[in-house]
Amino acid sequence: MGTFHDTRDPLHGITVVATTRDTVFVGRCHERAEGTVVLVDADEHSEGQDGKTNAEYLARAARFGVWKKHDRIVLDAADLASLAPLSDFYGRPGQAATKRAEESGPPPAVDHTAGETAGSAGEDQPVVLTPAAVAEVKRLLAAEAEPGLGLRLGVAGGGCSGLTYKTEFSARRDGDVVVPEDGFEVYLDRKSAIYLRGITLDHQSGLGGKGFQFQNPNATNTCGCGESFAV
Amino acid sequence: MPYPEQMVAPMRAELTSSGVQELRTPAEVDDFFAQTQGTALLLVNSVCGCAAGSARPAVLKAMEHTTRPDRFATVFAGQDVEATQRARELIGDVPPSSPSVAVMKDGELVHFVPRHLIEGRSAEDVARDLAAAFDDICN
Repeated sequence: MGTFHDTRDPLHGITVVATTRDTVFVGRCHERAEGTVVLVDADEHSEGQDGKTNAEYLARAARFGVWKKHDRIVLDAADLASLAPLSDFYGRPGQAATKRAEESGPPPAVDHTAGETAGSAGEDQPVVLTPAAVAEVKRLLAAEAEPGLGLRLGVAGGGCSGLTYKTEFSARRDGDVVVPEDGFEVYLDRKSAIYLRGITLDHQSGLGGKGFQFQNPNATNTCGCGESFAV
Repeated sequence: MPYPEQMVAPMRAELTSSGVQELRTPAEVDDFFAQTQGTALLLVNSVCGCAAGSARPAVLKAMEHTTRPDRFATVFAGQDVEATQRARELIGDVPPSSPSVAVMKDGELVHFVPRHLIEGRSAEDVARDLAAAFDDICN
């Protein structure tokens, strides 16, 4: 995700859906700064407008795009319930239609708005750790000399399927999506959070175990060792 | 405002050198759309590196697929403005999007890949999706 402007916001140049209580905005994210989100070439839709629910509007937007209503619109980040790529509302690129968007409404979006805590455990949680994974992370963290570290999950280019998982212990960074766990926190940078939404991290110990294992519902392809994936 | 031609010439050549027909005028667009029989792909090209940098190689890669449209053409948004406007009128009732890919069958739009399904993705991924669409449409 992101564009070739590596020095800019990961969502720069990406067509996003920004939602407030009643209104959906769709446009290309230009920047997020000083508590605002700037969209360009944007459209907006309110619940029931033109006889369409927001879910119906998003279903068509995800499939075909939107007609521009604003050259540029500045949104107050504090007003946003979610901010996510429009492509997330499409089942899989290349499909003629998307059951997820057209029949079930939009999925819960990872909250990219301010790097705040992503909520307690539940369906909206971007990543899930099994009890075995939690126990292993706590065991490993206890051996770390530096206090206050969390588990950082991420993705990087590489591997035989295009993307590889990264795991490390690190301090919290500005902009992280934070998932609280029992005794520690999980950190995801915003770009990785897009790819990792919905994953489950498991751990298999013992001689036949494979250590940490990612179960990624977004992956369209994985390599045999499970260490790389494609979306 | 169009970019200097010397800047976009390589972006044109990337496609035309592989056999994609470039439509520079509304008349050329009309001629392309006048042939309604069979299948055709139209790439709305763009200088935007965020997405067109994947769109062009994706189309070229998809052209290697065994099942493919009969004809491939492109218009250049922001550069050949009138040709692009005419193409958008003829593609069908979809919002302007650049880059984007439209696949027509017997004169009807049957598959559309807007910019937001290209941006941030690799050319290989977009090509794979196009090839899957070709299998559905062009058999």
